[in-house]
Amino acid sequence: MADASLQGKLIEFKGASLAVMTAYVRETDAVRLADALHMMLGGMPDFFAGEPAILDFSQLGTSPDRVDWTAVLSLLRRYQLQPVGVRNLDEHLQEGARRAGLAVLGAESFSAERPVAAAQPRTPPPAPAPAPAPAPAPTLSPAPVEAAPQAPVTAPSDNGLAPTLVVDRPLRSGQQVYAKGGDLVLLAGMSPGSEIIADGSIHCYGPLRGRALAGARGDTSARIFSTNFGPELVSIAGVYRTFERGIPQTVAGRGAQVRLTGSDNLHTLEITPLQYD
Amino acid sequence: MARVIVVTSGKGGVGKTTTSASISTGLALRGFKTAVIDFDVGLRNLDLIMGCERRVVYDLINVVNGEANLNQALIKDKHCDNLFILPASQTRDKDALTEEGVEKVLKDLEHLGFDYILCDSPAGIERGAVMALTFADEAIVVSNPEVSSVRDSDRILGILQSKSRRAIEGREPVKEHLLVTRYSPKRVEDGEMLSYKDVQELLRIPLIGVIPESDDVLQASNQGTPAIHLKDSDVATAYLDVVARFLDEDRPLRFVAYEKPGLLKRLFGGK
Repeated sequence: MADASLQGKLIEFKGASLAVMTAYVRETDAVRLADALHMMLGGMPDFFAGEPAILDFSQLGTSPDRVDWTAVLSLLRRYQLQPVGVRNLDEHLQEGARRAGLAVLGAESFSAERPVAAAQPRTPPPAPAPAPAPAPAPTLSPAPVEAAPQAPVTAPSDNGLAPTLVVDRPLRSGQQVYAKGGDLVLLAGMSPGSEIIADGSIHCYGPLRGRALAGARGDTSARIFSTNFGPELVSIAGVYRTFERGIPQTVAGRGAQVRLTGSDNLHTLEITPLQYD
Repeated sequence: MARVIVVTSGKGGVGKTTTSASISTGLALRGFKTAVIDFDVGLRNLDLIMGCERRVVYDLINVVNGEANLNQALIKDKHCDNLFILPASQTRDKDALTEEGVEKVLKDLEHLGFDYILCDSPAGIERGAVMALTFADEAIVVSNPEVSSVRDSDRILGILQSKSRRAIEGREPVKEHLLVTRYSPKRVEDGEMLSYKDVQELLRIPLIGVIPESDDVLQASNQGTPAIHLKDSDVATAYLDVVARFLDEDRPLRFVAYEKPGLLKRLFGGK
């Protein structure tokens, strides 16, 4: 039996702020979106792990006459993203979005505008908000197949620094580690078939042999460093490269770094040997 | 305190059961009271390798389910007084293994005064394999010198790190040993096989030994005699070395260098 005092309150309302991801949608054609998502996320169908998201259409080029919401939503849900609402959508498209079960939100409901960063709660939290560091809000955590061994998570910053995740045993095939909001340091290398993901940079002492994805939330300044380079795949902010024809001679088995060069829409991955003496 | 040792590999057919039989025999020959448990429920093999298949009355699942007690199920080895075999059930499946049941069997074996308990893991990473490694103190990871076997061994090392009791409770991690089996120095020389150094470099755990590929193993299996009993064979010598190293004795690696057959040998054949 429920508590007597709760008898009359079968439903109760309280204020809450939800951290959501904003997806800036620049294309409404489902086929082209599908291609773009496939390029970005490849074979990681559960990448978003049920993350709620607001679809923002402010960067949409020309507004189409109609949008096939069913196709767009089912596409996003395939990657386990949960679209909950839209904003900055042209008025003639709003009715369709409503009918597809999406909330139509006014632009004023939001404060955060930084792409990729989290929407901040409207009322400032009692404690001083962590300064510029990427807000730890949206958990992209791709459900670990076998979580990192003894994942020694550093306490989330109260000094404004993003936490660094240090793994000091070898990462084995089938294991996956995600450093949310910060850098990842591997002290014993990784094996083929394992996967490391970091929102910041990746530092790998020992062999880098699995898949390494840095800047997972779009940080194009993230880099990957390794003392023994030999990965299956590297990616920075979604720009990735595989090594079907082998690792370039200049870096294979040696110290190397991976970074993005070029500007906004013309990023290229550059892999260069590391000099140390 | 009994030490629980899991013999595991991920991949099938690499020599787990041969290794379990030989190492448990080797430990028993050294005077340690040793039990070897077959975790391959549904596909039991250990009893064949140990030559006790006709003496199986009760099995591991009977003990787990309380249908028999340990003393009824343990089979005394025909060669060594200190060695006992706990066979797997052939008629049940691996879901019959429960964590509580396995834990109780291991506790009871400890109370019976066993020094070493070897768990012969089934191939794969499913329930049977996970149950075999859950309570391990040490792990002997058996790998053949080829990439798919090494990859699977790597996977099982990851599971050891995440699913063993020691890992879950945050105790000292399971002590890992690498055993390279079916090693042919000639084929390594010819570049057809990974060298044991390559395997170790890929897996990055301490090497406890290299067992040469040999027809003797097949013969021993068919006879139901653990390979370690084959007097003067390379395989038996290599397994005796492994047992010695396991007991912290220093033994140089043997049977890893390829010697070109000399003129006489080439003329007169010979093995």
